[in-house]
Amino acid sequence: MLTITVNGKKRDVQGPADTPLLYVLRNELEITSPQFGCGLAQCGACSVLLDGKEVRACITPASAAVGKEVTTLEGLPARWAKQQNLPAAEAEKTLHPVQQAWIEEQTPLCGFCQSGMMIKATELLEKTPHPSDPEIKAAFTTSGPSAHLCRCGSYYAIVEAVRFASTLMAKGGSK
Amino acid sequence: MSKNTVIFGAELSRRGFLQTGGALVAGFGLLQADSAVAATSNNSLNAGLPESWVEIHADNTVLIRTGKCDFGQSSVYTAYRQIVADELDVTFEMITTVVPGDTDTTPDGSGTFDLLGRGVGNLKKAAAYTRQALLELASQRLGVAKDQLSVKAGVVSGAGKSITYGELVKDQNLKLTIPVTGDLTSMFGLVVSGNPPMKPVSEYQYVGKSFKNSIIPAKVTAKEVWVTDVKVPGMLHARMIHPATLGSKLISPGAVDKKRFPNSQVVVKGNLVGVVAPTEWEAIQASRQVAVATKWTEWKGLPGNGNLFRYFRQDADWKSAPVSRSPKSGGNAATAMAAAPKKHSATYEMPYMKHAPLGPTMAMADVKADGTVTVHTHNQNPQALRGQIAMMLGVSTDKVIVKTYSGPGHYGRSNGGNAGAEDEAVLLSKELGKPVRVQWMRAEDFQWSTQSAAGYSDVKIGLDANGKISAYEVDHHMPAMQDDRPIGAVLAGLPTMDAPSDKGARLNSTVNGNADAWVYDGVLNLEERAHGTFQVGQRESPIAVGLRDHSMRTPGQFQQNFPREVAISEAAALAGADPIQFRIDHAKEERVIALLQRLRDESGWETRKSPHAKAMATGTAPVRGQGVSLMFRSGSYWACACELAVTPSSGAVKVEKITMVVDPGIVVNPLQLKRQVEGGIIMGISHALYEEMTFDESGITNKDWLSYPILKMSEMPEIKVVMIHRPDVGNYGQGSEAANALAAPAIAAAIFDATGKPARRLPFKPANVKELLKA
Repeated sequence: MLTITVNGKKRDVQGPADTPLLYVLRNELEITSPQFGCGLAQCGACSVLLDGKEVRACITPASAAVGKEVTTLEGLPARWAKQQNLPAAEAEKTLHPVQQAWIEEQTPLCGFCQSGMMIKATELLEKTPHPSDPEIKAAFTTSGPSAHLCRCGSYYAIVEAVRFASTLMAKGGSK
Repeated sequence: MSKNTVIFGAELSRRGFLQTGGALVAGFGLLQADSAVAATSNNSLNAGLPESWVEIHADNTVLIRTGKCDFGQSSVYTAYRQIVADELDVTFEMITTVVPGDTDTTPDGSGTFDLLGRGVGNLKKAAAYTRQALLELASQRLGVAKDQLSVKAGVVSGAGKSITYGELVKDQNLKLTIPVTGDLTSMFGLVVSGNPPMKPVSEYQYVGKSFKNSIIPAKVTAKEVWVTDVKVPGMLHARMIHPATLGSKLISPGAVDKKRFPNSQVVVKGNLVGVVAPTEWEAIQASRQVAVATKWTEWKGLPGNGNLFRYFRQDADWKSAPVSRSPKSGGNAATAMAAAPKKHSATYEMPYMKHAPLGPTMAMADVKADGTVTVHTHNQNPQALRGQIAMMLGVSTDKVIVKTYSGPGHYGRSNGGNAGAEDEAVLLSKELGKPVRVQWMRAEDFQWSTQSAAGYSDVKIGLDANGKISAYEVDHHMPAMQDDRPIGAVLAGLPTMDAPSDKGARLNSTVNGNADAWVYDGVLNLEERAHGTFQVGQRESPIAVGLRDHSMRTPGQFQQNFPREVAISEAAALAGADPIQFRIDHAKEERVIALLQRLRDESGWETRKSPHAKAMATGTAPVRGQGVSLMFRSGSYWACACELAVTPSSGAVKVEKITMVVDPGIVVNPLQLKRQVEGGIIMGISHALYEEMTFDESGITNKDWLSYPILKMSEMPEIKVVMIHRPDVGNYGQGSEAANALAAPAIAAAIFDATGKPARRLPFKPANVKELLKA
C-alpha cells in the first residue's frame, strides 16, 4: 500500500504501485478532474501538478507521487488560499484566479481538456506571473511532455483567460 | 375556468388542486408503449412527468426541458433560455432549471445539431403556447379581457390589476397539451405543430445579449459530473478487443492469464470480444494480454489512402444511386461552356477526416434481470440511441433509458445516436448481469469509429469575353456519409438499421445530395450534380464494416464547398479579377454583397488580382498570400479571409491571420457566438493543414495524436470575428459548424495567391505543399 499526498491530504492507495496516477485519482480517491484523453502523454487532459510541476497522470505511476505533493483542479482554490495566507473563512469561498478567469472569459467549449489547461496555466503563472502571448503559447505547446490539445479550438479563449488570470493574481485575486 | 380551454390548438386543463406548490406544465402526452410515434391528437399531459417542455412553478420560476444536449455550444444553457425568456415574457434569471438530454426526463428527442434552427423551434413554440395559456388564466382571474393584458418579467397586468405567473399556477395542477408530429426516436424527433402567436423580433429583450453559460462554473471547479465519472455499485471495467482488420472474423479468443489477472474474464458474442475486470488498470492490462492471444481472419479489401482517388475514379460504383441535381441548376451549361473563350477545369480532393474527440468514446450500461436497460452516455441524440439499443436487443423502447452527461465534443459523430461504446457496454452488461463501463483506448477511437467522408469534385468554369462566369459545371463524388449502425451490434451480429445502400432511406442512402447552396446568382448557366456510392469496403468486408462514415460539422457541404470556393478563386485569377470583387460581381443577394464588402473592409484585404505579382513556388524565403471563401448555411452567410506565408523549400504553411464575418440574421448571444466562431476557425485550420485519415488495405492506420496531429496553440494565427446583426432576417445565428468549413478553401486560395500554384488537395501538410509546388 502507498500513501500519497493529494491536495494537502494524505491518502492511502490500495491498488498496485505501478497503477497510473490517473486511475488511482479517478477510481480510488474520487478525484475526477484529470480526464483520460490518450493514455500516452500526448494531449494533457490528465495533467496534475507534482510539487508544482505539470505531469501527465496517465503515464505517471502512483509510486512516483510518494513523498511529493499532488495538486489537481479540485485543489487549486486551497493552493491559492495558502499562497495568499487567506483566513480559513475566506479560503473556503475563494476560487483560484485561473478558475475565475476561465469563468469570466467563458473559456471552455466542451471543456474536456480544460482541467489540464488550468493546471498548465497555474504552473505557468506561478513561475511567470506576467507572461507575454508568445510565452503563453509556448507554455501550452512546448513546455511539457506534449502540446496541450483542445479539439474544440479554445486556444484563443485560453490566451485571453491566462492574461486575465495574470492581472487577477497581481491584484491578489478578485475580492 | 371551464374544464378544458382550447388555445390556438393547444388544450389547457385543470387536473385538480394541490395542497402545496402548483404548476402549469406544457407538453404532450405519454407515448404508447412500443410506439415512438406521437399523433397530433390524443395527447394529454401528466403534470410533473417529463413530457413537458416548459413548466411554470408557484415560486415564479420556470423549468425548461430539451432532448438536445450541450456539446460545447452552450446553446441549451444560454440561447435556449434567452429565446424562451422572450417568448414567455419572463426574465432570463427566472428560468432556473434546464433539463437536457435524458430520455426519461426530456420531451422531444432529435439531435444536438442545428440547435438554433430546428433544434429550438419546439421550445420556442411551447413557450408561446404557454404564454397564451397564462394570459387566459390571468384573464379569468383578473376579470380583464385578454387583449387588455400585457406581460413583463412574468407579471401580467391590465386595467390597474396585476398578477404573477407563479400566483396564477399556485395550488393548481394545470396542464397544457400541445400538438406534435414526428417520431420520438428518429433522427429528427418530435416537432411541435400549430401556430401560436409569436413575439415580433423587434420586442426581444433577452435575445441579443451576452449571457454567460451556466454550466461553465461547474466544469471549471470540478463539480460537473462528466460521463467519465459515472459509477454504480458492482460496476465492472471493460476494454474491447476489436477485430484485427475492418473485415476480420474471430477465429478464437485469447484466454486470460489468471495468474496475472485473477479477476478478469473474456466475454465473446459473435465477433465482439471484451475483457472485464473489477478495476480499470487490470482491465487494461488483461485486455492487452488477451488481445495478443486472440486470433482473427486476415482481410485486405481497402484501396489504401494512397490509391483512394484512383479507386474512386476507376472502381467505385457511382451508377447505382441516382444523381442529384441542385435546385438552382438551370440554363444550358454545356452550350455556354463550349462557347466560352476561357475555361477553368480542375479536380479537387478531400480526404477522410476524423471527428477525433479529445476523449475516446465511453459508456456505462446496466442491464437488469427484468430486461430494463439504462445507458449512461455522452450523446448527441439520446432518443435515437434508445431506439437503436431497443432494436439491437429486440425489446420495446420503453425498456431503455438513456442518461446523458457532459463529455468530449463529438462534432456530429453521435448525432445519429451512437459514438461507439454504448451498445458494446449494453451487450457486455447483458451477458454478465452486472453494470459495465466500456472505455475505448485512443487507438480504437481512431480505428473503430466513423469518419467524415472523403470526396472529389470535377469543376468546369467557362468565362465570357468580359471575364464573367458564363457556365459552371460540377460533379461532386462522395460515398455515403452517414452510417448509424452501432458497431458492437454489427460485430455481435445483432439487428441494426440497414447499412447505407441505394435502397436505403434518407439516413442510410448512398445518394449524395446537394449540400452547398449556390450563392452566385449572377451565373445563369449552372449544372451541379452530386454522385454517391457505397462506403469504401463496406460490401467487401465479411463483417460488413469497412470505412464507416458519419456526418461531421457541415456534413457533405464541406466536401462541396471546398471545391467550389477554391475553383471560384482560380476562375477569378483566370479573369484577372480580385477574388472578393469577382464574387461580388456574381452575387445578387444583398446579404452576400454586404458580407463580402464588410470582409474586405475588416480584413485588411489588398484589392488586386491573384496570384500576387511576387508569387514564388521556389526558394527558402517565405512568400505571402491572401485568400477568401464564402458559405451559406442554416440561414447564415459566412465569409472568411486568410493571410498566410508559405516557405516553398520546406512546404511549410503558416496561417498568419483569419478574419471571419458572419451574418447569421439574429445574433442571439454575441459572446457565445464569438467563442464558437473562434473555435471553428481553429478546428478549420487544423483540418486544412494537418488532417487526413490514413488507411492501408486492412484498416485505419492513425492511432494517436502523432499519427493524427491537430493544430497546436503556437500555430494559432491572429483571429478577428465580425458579427453582422440582422434582426430583419429573423433567422437565429448558428454556432461553429460553418466556421469550421471556411478556413480550408481560404487557405487553399491564399497558397495559390502566394505561390502561383493551385492547391486542390487537402491537407496542406509540408510534403503535400512541396509536391503541389512542383506542378
